[in-house]
Amino acid sequence: MLHLMQMILPRNGRRSTQIFPSGHGFLVREWVFHAEGYLALENMNQLSASEALTDDENYSAEEEPFDNATLVQSYNDDMHIYDFHIVYSFSYRVPVLYFRGYRCDGHPLLLCDIERDLPPYSLKIQNESKWTFMTQEEHPYLRRPWYTLHPCGTSDWMKLLLGGDLPSKSPDMLHYLSAWLSVVGQTVGLRIPLELHDKSI
Amino acid sequence: MAESPSTSSWPSSERAGKILQFAPFQSLVEDGFWRRLSSLKLDTLGIDQSPIPIIGFYAPCSHAQVSNHMTLLAESLPHDPTMWSSPSEMTRGNRNRCPVPGILYNTNTLESFHALDRESLLKMEAKKILEDICSGKVEEDSALLSRFLVISFADLKKWSFRYWFAFPALVLDPPATLLNLQPALEALNLEEVESLSAACNEWRNSSSTADVPFFLVSFTSSSHATVRPLKDWEACQVDGQKLLFGFYDPCHLPNNPGWPLRNFLAFISSRWNIEKVHFLCYREKHGLADLGLSLVGEALVSPPQAWRDPQCIPKAVGWELKRGKLASRTINLADSMDPERLAVSAADLNLKLMRWRTLPSLNLNVLSIVRCLLLGAGTLGCQVARMLMAWGVRKITLLDSGRVAMSNPVRQSLYTFEDCLNGGNLKAVAAARSLKCIFPAVEAEGIKLAIPMPGHPVPAHESDGVLEDCKHLQSLIASHDVIFLLTDTRESRWLPTLFCANLNKIAITAALGFDSYLVMRHGAAPLVSMSDSSTKVEDMSTVVAQVDTSLTIDGDKGQRLGCYFCNDVVAPIDSTSNRTLDQQCTVTRPGLAPIASALAVELLVGILHHPNGIHAPGEIATSITSSSEQPFGILPHQIRGSMPQFSQMTLVGHSSNSCTACSSTVVSEYRRRGMEFILQAINHPSYLEDLTGLTELMKSASSFKLDWDNETDDDADV
Repeated sequence: MLHLMQMILPRNGRRSTQIFPSGHGFLVREWVFHAEGYLALENMNQLSASEALTDDENYSAEEEPFDNATLVQSYNDDMHIYDFHIVYSFSYRVPVLYFRGYRCDGHPLLLCDIERDLPPYSLKIQNESKWTFMTQEEHPYLRRPWYTLHPCGTSDWMKLLLGGDLPSKSPDMLHYLSAWLSVVGQTVGLRIPLELHDKSI
Repeated sequence: MAESPSTSSWPSSERAGKILQFAPFQSLVEDGFWRRLSSLKLDTLGIDQSPIPIIGFYAPCSHAQVSNHMTLLAESLPHDPTMWSSPSEMTRGNRNRCPVPGILYNTNTLESFHALDRESLLKMEAKKILEDICSGKVEEDSALLSRFLVISFADLKKWSFRYWFAFPALVLDPPATLLNLQPALEALNLEEVESLSAACNEWRNSSSTADVPFFLVSFTSSSHATVRPLKDWEACQVDGQKLLFGFYDPCHLPNNPGWPLRNFLAFISSRWNIEKVHFLCYREKHGLADLGLSLVGEALVSPPQAWRDPQCIPKAVGWELKRGKLASRTINLADSMDPERLAVSAADLNLKLMRWRTLPSLNLNVLSIVRCLLLGAGTLGCQVARMLMAWGVRKITLLDSGRVAMSNPVRQSLYTFEDCLNGGNLKAVAAARSLKCIFPAVEAEGIKLAIPMPGHPVPAHESDGVLEDCKHLQSLIASHDVIFLLTDTRESRWLPTLFCANLNKIAITAALGFDSYLVMRHGAAPLVSMSDSSTKVEDMSTVVAQVDTSLTIDGDKGQRLGCYFCNDVVAPIDSTSNRTLDQQCTVTRPGLAPIASALAVELLVGILHHPNGIHAPGEIATSITSSSEQPFGILPHQIRGSMPQFSQMTLVGHSSNSCTACSSTVVSEYRRRGMEFILQAINHPSYLEDLTGLTELMKSASSFKLDWDNETDDDADV
């Protein structure tokens, strides 16, 4: 499946609209393929339930000379930034969603923080379905702890979703991915626009 | 430089403008950067505090409500320390990562962090920018205009990082004034808009220009736009061509350009002598040029004369504010970087997976707070301790009086060869240390203590010491929730059994024969009538108060489950002297200890999850019992296994009123007379038999001349 991903999707860093000039769908336009072998959707901004950040700093008594060319800005501490990666799991032979979130200052979000950002239907899905739960794992390429939706149930529910047997050499990889993403995305609150499914590939 | 006729073809307003205000750059440091810096400090830099060249990355704004940041990633730090002398070797970026050169001053202490002269550091970087402008370097490498500075202090013990960014901007005096600013869609005509979009997208999609953040846009008279690098300036001086000075704008605001424009204006005005600058704040959406978000503006700029002096140190601003105030920022990454914490969360994750996937009723909380006391740190003790840790138990105390012998490490899984040397380390202490090596977050303690045993009389001069030991043992049992009886003699289990019965503590016994094993849980405390309650409170005042004597009836037919001694008809006696060597050392098939230990811990987990806890009735395995009834299956009382048969069976035994360890007779006598009773039992084994009526029982039994199947021939103890 990984090779198919490489065939369909563009080279590192390039927008995939090159390959699909019709500007095909949310999925392909935003995700970027990394040469190491994963799809990335990064810098998704998410307004969080605003947290009162503890003010534990000693502020400098000194003042910089006032510069009237600098805009005095309101700061938005409550913006969380998320990165999503789709990685192929060789042991489970399915795509796996890895994600992480961090605050504006780069501080990584814990699982409980992320759960608070999720829309209510996501948490409902996670609690009710025995096939979806979030765990922390080491990102296979970046070698750092990321969160992931555990893949152990994926091939089971993909079979149910797509119905019948999955053709093993299907060129319809985008169809597979978008179907997969439509389930998995809901669990993490990623909205997949409807037109993605209407357009024939 | 020649004057620039191109600007005259712009419609320009002559009205006095207001001061042009720039939105400051915002920093974002990914945790990967701090990890790399930590490894660099630990592996290469040590105490070296020389400045480190770094690369920051940013991209044009891609979101109508959120500005982009100047980001530091792991890749921002140089790989090869020997390359540090040539920081101009730039990393090739891509369209999402425009590389910008920066410098990092990382200090070794918080004091030296605060002692850094921020003003002069800022001026030094500003001077470099001015030099690059005057020398022409900027036309070759425009990202130099956004050169930045970071000061930091990395506390590698606490994994906390204090840092402060500065984005040096050359101050114009008088400041630049804004003549007009509007979305590009409104400032340009339709053909210009279309052509500009196409030209920008091409620039952004070409790998050689995608990461070049400053550029020229020239429009022909027929509204055809081309994007050109800065060094093509001369070539753009063509009549009839309009020129826009474009840059990647990280800012999203509709009324203000981003920070990079500051130095860009300084550069344009001083290098090319242009007073009125038409600029393009280039912003994107969904990876394509968005000319509604992008802004086109016109500013009046007059650079100070002083800048022409090569020795000039320009005035600069740019220290990043924290929530509007001048302060450094801190980030604490202990949760994701401290390896001990990572070990804890990984171990917890394992258990959580169990809970999520198959065992939703698993109570991880109770497992993490239960306090376990292991009497004996031998084959059984070592394995029980390991199994407890595997289940997430964190509080483990081991008790043993011995030292690690040469024969131990192969069978006793917490010891190594080193523990045997020089007479051998104390077992309890070595075991606790080993547990911490396996899992640093365990709260393990090892205590050297010999358990006083009936049938091993105590010489008078030692009786005080033995008394102390008894009290010590009792207080240990009182301060734990679960007691595992894992010693290698029968009689050593007597006193702990009595104490557990008295205090209603969960007690689990594991005992090995040569090729068989017994694992059982003791029943709850016996019912003791109030008249037996002692007025002597010196030994156990606080302890007795905790015993709820009303809850001494177990669930099963009102009879409580038995203890290890309940089936005995003789009191524990000295079983160790007058035996051959092989009988004195516990000789068992090696496979038994791990099996019995594992069962003992699984039994405990079952008890902890049973609603009745210690009072849970004993169940036996039947073919009818379906496992889906209870998540952990049945909760047996006794498990007896046979290695030769590769089989095991579950049994239930009720308490005996004549039990020498847990019957109400014995417990109430203990409560009445305390340690005096204990000593008597230790020194006179027949005393217990008399007390419980076993003596009577045996007399009457032998008078019938019945064939006693002496159940004390348990293989359960050698």
